[in-house]
Amino acid sequence: MSKYFTNIYDTVNTLWTGMRITFRHMMNIKKDNVTLQYPEERWPRPERDIGFELEDYNVIRTRLHVDIDDCIGCFRCEKACPVDCIKIDTIKAGRGEDIPEVAHTGETSNGTKKGFVVSRFTIDMSECCYCNLCTYPCPEECIFMVGGPHSSKHPIDYEFSEVDRNDLIYQFAKKLTPKQRNDLQQPKEKAKA
Amino acid sequence: MTIDFIINQFTEIIGNFPVAAFLVACASVGGLLFVLMALNAMVAVYVERKVSAFMMDRLGPMGQGPGLHAGKWGILQTFADAIKLLIKEDTIPKSADQILFKVAPFIIFIGAIIGLSALPFSSSIQAVDLNVGVFYIIAVGSIGVIGIVMAGWASNNKWSLYGAMRSAAQIISYEIPAGLSIIVPIMMSGTMNLQNLIEYQSGSIFGIFPNWIMFQNPFAFLAFFIFFISAVAETNRTPFDIPEAESELVAGWMTEYSGFRWAVFFLSEYANMFVVSGLAVAGFMGGWLSPIPGFLNSPVLGLFWFFGKVSFLIFVMMWFRWTFPRLRVDQLMYVCWKVFIPIAMLNIFGVGIWKLIFG
Repeated sequence: MSKYFTNIYDTVNTLWTGMRITFRHMMNIKKDNVTLQYPEERWPRPERDIGFELEDYNVIRTRLHVDIDDCIGCFRCEKACPVDCIKIDTIKAGRGEDIPEVAHTGETSNGTKKGFVVSRFTIDMSECCYCNLCTYPCPEECIFMVGGPHSSKHPIDYEFSEVDRNDLIYQFAKKLTPKQRNDLQQPKEKAKA
Repeated sequence: MTIDFIINQFTEIIGNFPVAAFLVACASVGGLLFVLMALNAMVAVYVERKVSAFMMDRLGPMGQGPGLHAGKWGILQTFADAIKLLIKEDTIPKSADQILFKVAPFIIFIGAIIGLSALPFSSSIQAVDLNVGVFYIIAVGSIGVIGIVMAGWASNNKWSLYGAMRSAAQIISYEIPAGLSIIVPIMMSGTMNLQNLIEYQSGSIFGIFPNWIMFQNPFAFLAFFIFFISAVAETNRTPFDIPEAESELVAGWMTEYSGFRWAVFFLSEYANMFVVSGLAVAGFMGGWLSPIPGFLNSPVLGLFWFFGKVSFLIFVMMWFRWTFPRLRVDQLMYVCWKVFIPIAMLNIFGVGIWKLIFG
């Protein structure tokens, strides 16, 4: 008989303890909350250091970026790419000439004179294997992996998922209208006519 | 605003058409009660999700609402849920009993909502002022079982049938302690009329404490808890949710239902919670009386006090649900037959003696 009442007492006691705990958690939700509302809030990004002592090896390869104004259209990165995800088209232009209609500057930031208008520079990031091989041959250092020594050139971003697969093909060159393209391709003939 | 009041108004303004007046009154009051229940379910589902989330250190629904995905507490979550439920495909299993399957949700819903008509929302707002209000609510509360067994049987699904059988066993068992403990306020006040029962609780104890029945003597205090816990069991909510135990029975008698019919089940679950909380409030917690004796009592404010107390009890049910683990079948029956019923019987005995000694 006494066990019967101890049972009841234990039940009430333990249930009340549990209820106190849940109530405390409910009241302290602001402090205890573990949910991160992802698109609006993010965890702080970790330091850009993977532990190597030499700075050069501390490169974190996040994604490729091209400063298209510095690109001279030399195709070296396209040739270096082991998975052929870089595609470049160029149109011959006068060496060092500015072409304001297509926002083309004649010189890179290093002072090299450009001989081509880069009409297409696409990188398929779904194919890119982050091998970094394309950045070494670049004479102007205009294609680089975001992060590491280049972290000052471009903001670091890990989250580049897209809804449409086509959006993973990054277009770096300035968009040319067909007419602009035509004008660039036959400037001499047009001038003669 | 009783049905009688509307009938009188109808007769005065339009003329003496008793049947038409009765139908208009019933339709308008029934419509109001339905709207009330829909709102109750809308708010309660949202609050339940929030309460459950907060108790688990989560945030709960945050997306839907003003400023989509801007962390505005997801106020419109239930509306989104309702829209989603209404546009869902309405499937009926091929081997189900077509008629019973279709009828069952509405029987459950009727059983849940019909008790509302006798609840005293305030001293002047009550659909029907019945002499046997307590008895009526307890009695119609059992109609739901028929619907549940119908749903379980008609689904032609083993989980549904198990769930329905367990639900029937549980509701029938727990009606006994609930009924025995609601006898206590009836004995003390000497009436089954809910308005009179609440008026009996006006006044104060020692001038400070509200003169609610649950505070008038220890037996009534105990009876309140037995009644409330039995009521939780009757609404099939955790920790007494073995009829729809997710981990063993998928969704119990609701397994085969989807879309609107399933929404009706949900609506009736929350309506049931409202009704049993309303009865507990009217019987033990002074109904529409203010918790501070003689402070802000009026027919309109009574509405506020009543809904406040009912909301509190519904919150306690949610608190139970998100704290306690589910009982086993044998534990469920142990609690009912070996703990609640003897104590409820002793309560009746004790209250009788208390009445003899203290008047």
